[in-house]
Amino acid sequence: MALHRLSFRLRQTVAQVRPLHGSGCGQQQEAVGMELETRPETLSIFRTQENDPACQSEQHLGQYYTVPPSHFHTVFPHGLPPRYQQQVKTFNEGCVMVRQPALELISHLKRADYSKPTMRYLLYGVKGSGKTMSLCHTVHYCSTQGWLVLHIPDAHLWVKNCKELLPSSYHASRFDQPIQASNWLRNFRTTNEHFLSKIKLRQRYVWTKRESTEEGRPLGELVDMGVSRVKSSSDVVGAVLKELRLQAGGTEGGFRLAVAVDGVNGLWGRTTLKKEDKSPVAPEELTLVHNLRKMINNDWCGGAVIATLSQTGSLYAPSSAYLPQELLGEEGFDSMDPFVPVPVSLYSEKEFMYIFLYIFYFKGFSFAIEYKTKTHKQ
Amino acid sequence: MATRTLKTSILSLGRIHCHIYGVNVRNPLNRATYATALSINTSSQNKGFPDRGNRGPFNRRSRREAGDPRTDRMPVEQDWTAVYPTATPFRQGSVPLPVRMGFPVKKGVPPEKKGNLELIKIPNFLHLTPLAIKKHCEALKPFCTEWPSALDTGAKCDEHFPVKVESKDYVSAGTSLRNPSARIVHLRVSFCVNYDYAMYLLTVLYHESWKMEAWESEKTVADMEEYSWEDSPSQKNIMSTLVRMQVEGEGEAVREELLGRPEVQEYRDSVTRLKNEGESESSMHQYRDAVKKLLNL
Repeated sequence: MALHRLSFRLRQTVAQVRPLHGSGCGQQQEAVGMELETRPETLSIFRTQENDPACQSEQHLGQYYTVPPSHFHTVFPHGLPPRYQQQVKTFNEGCVMVRQPALELISHLKRADYSKPTMRYLLYGVKGSGKTMSLCHTVHYCSTQGWLVLHIPDAHLWVKNCKELLPSSYHASRFDQPIQASNWLRNFRTTNEHFLSKIKLRQRYVWTKRESTEEGRPLGELVDMGVSRVKSSSDVVGAVLKELRLQAGGTEGGFRLAVAVDGVNGLWGRTTLKKEDKSPVAPEELTLVHNLRKMINNDWCGGAVIATLSQTGSLYAPSSAYLPQELLGEEGFDSMDPFVPVPVSLYSEKEFMYIFLYIFYFKGFSFAIEYKTKTHKQ
Repeated sequence: MATRTLKTSILSLGRIHCHIYGVNVRNPLNRATYATALSINTSSQNKGFPDRGNRGPFNRRSRREAGDPRTDRMPVEQDWTAVYPTATPFRQGSVPLPVRMGFPVKKGVPPEKKGNLELIKIPNFLHLTPLAIKKHCEALKPFCTEWPSALDTGAKCDEHFPVKVESKDYVSAGTSLRNPSARIVHLRVSFCVNYDYAMYLLTVLYHESWKMEAWESEKTVADMEEYSWEDSPSQKNIMSTLVRMQVEGEGEAVREELLGRPEVQEYRDSVTRLKNEGESESSMHQYRDAVKKLLNL
């Protein structure tokens, strides 16, 4: 398309990039967090300074915005795709491209009426088209707007590869998944630290003969209990979801609740888990899935449900399936109905060019300079 | 010194493995062995005594040499049905065709038939040449009866046998035996013969089909041929959503009014299209627009 124009732009970039000071980079950190590079943003065609998702608009389409490092740990403890996490670690910054599906979602969220029943939005598209990243972009928006974010990074993780299945104490025919539940509670706690002391429980929860959580206690206490007492963590998750559902959009101290589920098609369909007599476990027999399905219903208000479909990681779904009904099945479609499907397409030419500039040229070049400076110092 | 002992041991091994013409020293029970190309010895005397005939270190039992392939000795007017009477794997020595099969590595040519596993793997129909089929027909003839001589034209066949049933069988190499197109059976009825009787039959069938049997009322949603929106979970969902979105009242009248709205009709059409026709980008877009309009987005 415009490859000759591209090379011209690249020549301009070469003239403007300075070698970096090696000592400023410091050591690579183990975790996903990184330092903000104080590099002059001379090349701005594919980058935008608008780092607040609420202010992004059509003019920023295709451009990369940087997620502030302070947000990274809190907003995305577990939500990002693994490849993207690797990229962040390599490049020392988290840049997300502003794309049409995310912008559409954010505009819906801005204009929605939160006194009406919850809207469900479903991101669908072929493999690798950017559904999870669009979801993360939307989650970042919700987080910057002060919403409470319930992010389930992959619903399929709850229906497969579960080593421990305990029979539920609350309901005889259901099964608990302590490890998955406590992991999720830990990450939930990291994301929503500031809400945990503000939200008070509306009813009393009894866990064992001696233990209970009283009405009026902060939500944080419940979550801490779930993280420490792993055996009852699935029921704690159920209680947390119920409280949030009741209190979202309330008039006094109300907050908005964003339920972001990746791979929502895992909640209906089949699991690979087996009971002790080798018979298969249906998804509704799992406490976590049962409670999450209740969240996805639109019988509560004051928030939004944003979900993506995912074929990778799904069970018993053909690899070419990507449309909602194929992956959700009849039961899932009927539960989600009515929802707003948001199609996510593969990269357009313009987006691809910006990626090329970002990763292969700009990042690759400056990364090489960085490396050279480091080795030179040694 | 060590090397000398090694040599002697090798020689002794060689002795054990040596092959006398026609007899294997290692085969004391004198079971049937291969004869060498050279000669067949009257074996009984030499049994116990290893002759130094074919001596040499590590001389294995010499194999009989392969002869010329049969293709060299095939006349043009041969009886092919004798070469391949039944379904057998491909034998390169029996097929006198310069067949090549396989991927041409490094810009070469497909490999030749000699030692070609690909040719052996695939099914072949070398046993079903026209001549072979003719022979099969000849063999089956005693078991067949004559075609009735009176039915010599197509018209006469149609006259006497107006109802024709046509079924198709499909053969393919794959993981499954089944082919859904094989379930379609065509029944053809021509009306030129006894029109009145045919009309009578069809009238009876028509009226019979309207009768409801007791067991038909047990038809479930899963048995339905088509999706109907009324009383479906989709209708229930959207009704409850809309009712909750409305501020004023509940009850039948509100429901009826909601159902009558054009947006609801549009939504109903889009869901019915999705379920009946299957999914596609366009039907998904239609559904999207309908939902957006309905929920005031």
